[in-house]
Amino acid sequence: MASSPGQSAFKDNRRVIIFALLAPVLAFFIVFNTIPTLWLLGLSFHKFSLLSGMPPEFFGFRNFQDIFRNRNGIWGDLGRTFTFVGVGVLVQTTLGILLGFLFWGSKDMPGRRLALTLLFTPMVLTPVATGTFFRFIYDPTFGVLNALVGWMSPTGTIDFLGNPQIAFWAVLAVDCWMWTPFMTLMTLAALGSVPKAELEAAEIDRLSWPKRVSLVIWHHGKFILMLGILLRTIDSFKTLDLIIPMTKGGPGQTTRLVAVELNKQSFESFNMGWSSAYSVLLLLISIAMTSMFIFILNRRRKGR
Amino acid sequence: MTADSGGKTGTRFVVPRRTILKGAAVAGLTGAFSAPFINRLKAQESHPLAGQKIDMNILGIAGWLPSSLGVKMSPMFADYVKEKYGYDVTFGFAEAPFADLFQKAATSLATKSQEYNIIISDSQWLGALAKPGWILKLNDIIAKNKNLQLDWYSDTVVNTYMKYPDGSEDIWGLPQEGDTKALYVRKDLVEDPNEQAAFQAKYGMKLPSTFEEYEELDAETYEKIMEFFTRPDQGLWGAAWQYSRVYDFCTCPLLSIMWSRGGDIWDPKTGQVEGILNTDANAQAMELYKSWLKYMPPGATNFGIAEEIDVWTQGKVATCLQWAAVGLAMITPENKDKVLVVPPPKFGKGAEAKRVYCMGGQPWVINAFNDDAKMRVAIDFMNWWYLPETTLEFAKRGGNPTDKATLSSPDFDTINPWNRAYKFMLETGRSRDFWHHPRYSEMLAVQQEGFTSYMTGTTASAKQALDYIACQQQQILYDDGTAATAPSDACSSTSL
Amino acid sequence: MSETLRARLYHVVLWIVSLIFFSPVAWIILSSFKTRSDILATPPKLIFTPTLDNYVDLFVNNRGFLLQLGNSIILSVTAVVIAVFVSFLAAFCFSRFKPKGTDFLMFLLLSIRMLPGPAVILPVYLMYVAFGWKDNHLAMILFYAMFSIPFSVWILKGFLDGVSTRFDETGRVNGGSWLHIIFRVVLPQVKPGLIAAFIFNIIFVWNEFLFNFIIGGVSTQNIPYALAVGAYSDGGLNWTFISALTSIYILPPVLFIYFFQKYLLVGMTFGTVRGEV
Repeated sequence: MASSPGQSAFKDNRRVIIFALLAPVLAFFIVFNTIPTLWLLGLSFHKFSLLSGMPPEFFGFRNFQDIFRNRNGIWGDLGRTFTFVGVGVLVQTTLGILLGFLFWGSKDMPGRRLALTLLFTPMVLTPVATGTFFRFIYDPTFGVLNALVGWMSPTGTIDFLGNPQIAFWAVLAVDCWMWTPFMTLMTLAALGSVPKAELEAAEIDRLSWPKRVSLVIWHHGKFILMLGILLRTIDSFKTLDLIIPMTKGGPGQTTRLVAVELNKQSFESFNMGWSSAYSVLLLLISIAMTSMFIFILNRRRKGR
Repeated sequence: MTADSGGKTGTRFVVPRRTILKGAAVAGLTGAFSAPFINRLKAQESHPLAGQKIDMNILGIAGWLPSSLGVKMSPMFADYVKEKYGYDVTFGFAEAPFADLFQKAATSLATKSQEYNIIISDSQWLGALAKPGWILKLNDIIAKNKNLQLDWYSDTVVNTYMKYPDGSEDIWGLPQEGDTKALYVRKDLVEDPNEQAAFQAKYGMKLPSTFEEYEELDAETYEKIMEFFTRPDQGLWGAAWQYSRVYDFCTCPLLSIMWSRGGDIWDPKTGQVEGILNTDANAQAMELYKSWLKYMPPGATNFGIAEEIDVWTQGKVATCLQWAAVGLAMITPENKDKVLVVPPPKFGKGAEAKRVYCMGGQPWVINAFNDDAKMRVAIDFMNWWYLPETTLEFAKRGGNPTDKATLSSPDFDTINPWNRAYKFMLETGRSRDFWHHPRYSEMLAVQQEGFTSYMTGTTASAKQALDYIACQQQQILYDDGTAATAPSDACSSTSL
Repeated sequence: MSETLRARLYHVVLWIVSLIFFSPVAWIILSSFKTRSDILATPPKLIFTPTLDNYVDLFVNNRGFLLQLGNSIILSVTAVVIAVFVSFLAAFCFSRFKPKGTDFLMFLLLSIRMLPGPAVILPVYLMYVAFGWKDNHLAMILFYAMFSIPFSVWILKGFLDGVSTRFDETGRVNGGSWLHIIFRVVLPQVKPGLIAAFIFNIIFVWNEFLFNFIIGGVSTQNIPYALAVGAYSDGGLNWTFISALTSIYILPPVLFIYFFQKYLLVGMTFGTVRGEV
């Protein structure tokens, strides 16, 4: 009896403690997420423009109909966004893993910490500044990139952001430049999580490299790597502040991603009803995507 | 509480409600102006804010010279009221670029906030700011303030900066900066005898080199000038015009060409767009404008105001269609002897040829949620802004006033190199503004997407892009209740 | 001999890769020491007479700069400290007590992160309008904190899962209170996680523009806001301003990465590794 006062206190207070520990996060969650989301949901069924000076008016599913009616609307935006996410994450992951392996065995490299810091710098650069300055780097007349292009082939300059065939990929390239280092970071973390003993054992067994990767490294590292991919997918889906200074969704609609269109409709045109409906659709997509990833992660965990 | 008595005397004057105060203030003010030699002490006593200290905030356009001029001149206003009315005023400033300013203003005004007491709005936003009741309707104020009853240079000024809805008598803004399109020409190039001779030999005509010659210039000849100076191997191109997706950059020159060629964009009375905008003639205007890209430096499809300034000041182009308002930035100490500012080209042939270009410029608008004291200062500020001395000072610093008295004075033409062209373009019929409709931003976004989609070759046909824009705009106006008719059935098949 | 040569070559390759990634940033920093006409020179200049005018301009002539820098620091540090603190509590709860719905809550938390900025800020903006919270430091800090919570909870839960419950039990048996266990026993063991969560979130808030633009105002403007707003100045794009301000602003995060690199790497293992990576 005397030996377990803590135990009983633990049980008695369990609910209280759980509540006390969770309360701050829950409070944040309710005030800044639940209430706004319900608000959003409600507004999506209303006709409401901040500029009309009129209160919201119940509208049924009209906002949703409007979103899908427009032939140059959400499908194009989603198509571009998923291309952006898919290609971007693929390139960043591949390159990132490659660089990660490259840097893995460099413990004794002189100035390694500085080199890695330089490598990681792109991801901490303010996106607004990145976008603006890359517009300058890409500029056909003054840009340094076109000076290099002209130096290699004097035939002509490339209008990176003005040519609709190139603009999308030029923006994507900047995204990859910013975020490949992140995937390198994740790869290094994943490789670090592989127990040294197992690696040494593999070396003693003279396992071939592909086998070492698939049997030892992948087994320990895939959880972290998947998380990295998940985080990149999330952030890539939201890309906005890079595009606004670079192309503003143009030329035409070629770089108009969902976030760009939503920003235009909500905070340039102030169509709050329409934008709420659009946001609700994006929320559904987000939830679908997150659950998919969580499912994969959980499967991995159970296997562990 | 007792320690606060000083503050209390200060606020005592705010206690009367706005209407009472406004009436009293207005009476005091007109009195002050009709009697210029009024005893200073007496004037101070008559002002309800005397002895107070007031902080004002102005929201202006970032990177826009005339807007920052207004801001930079505001300390003069502080001195003026301190002496004349005996109150202290300090100014804070906030800025946002053109493309974001409306967003900044609207997100703040929607909260009924006094964050920005006076706003420099773009002319097209009048409707969007007035409709929800965010800005002060100025008819009564103007009626009570003689100093605001100015004789404006032309109807264009009133229609562009002051009225909403179009055609009504409701006034919501007062011109801060007048602005028109102007053609900036490299004087050193067009006056060069060698260039003159070469042009004469190539085209059998004189290379225009004076204001008068450019006054008569039509688009066909202008195209020859552009072609003549397009020499990529020398790093020189014929022209820089705006094609960018950002804000209204592609729209302004393109609408100018459409109007000049006799086209129109909508019927403001019925809200009809379809059938008026998407005509074959307007499609031809788009084709013409796209064909000019070959005379522009690479990357011209991303040209906006700032990019044009960059290529112009670095000497990359021979001519540049640019706002008169950015003359200060276009004309630098290095190139000041090499610039000629002239009216942009006419479209059409012979006597039929005409020019109708887009208006630029910005009105002052006043936050409707200002408290009494701030409202009073805002009105004092307007009165001060239109004093002849202030207006002249503004012009001397590089701004463009809009009142007849200043513009008609004999030395106005010579104050700034662009003044003559500006005045010429401000004449009735040579410039006009597009929609002041509250849904402006949406209509513009659709239009910019359509225009730039065609200009960059994503959409192959100009007519297709125009059909798409017209249908979308018709839908926007129909949803809003402005347009009487819904988009036609043909619209269901339009796309970019 | 050939062994050392190979090692040298390998290190040179790594350095080149790092420098390639850094080169656009280097170009920005280089530009910050150029005059406007040097920046716009064609072909671009590598050799030029450096000038400090752009920095002098920023510190002396730019009235907003100190306010904006102050705001950047206050908003990001306060918000992230709050977020990491409450996230730690929540993560501890999730990890130790596994209350019903843990998975669901963790999932909900993540889904906030998935929505594009305008969708997140739209209802919050309308709410702030209704309550009059716009342009208010506290309201902005709380919002940024909310935005930093999900990732922090995820990282910290991973770390806490790795801390054996035996420590808690020992603590209990020795008569320690829950507060004692949480802050004295468990907290020190997840330090890498705390630092990693702190750095990753502070980099986000540090660079955040949209929310500041929409729900902030005159008194809460930060440096990214200044960068977006000041990009255009009298006379075209203000390259000197952008390059100088960006060069200064990138310094703190880069120093963080340099000094806390170890923790970043360990942090991203989500607690699966405790030692050096």
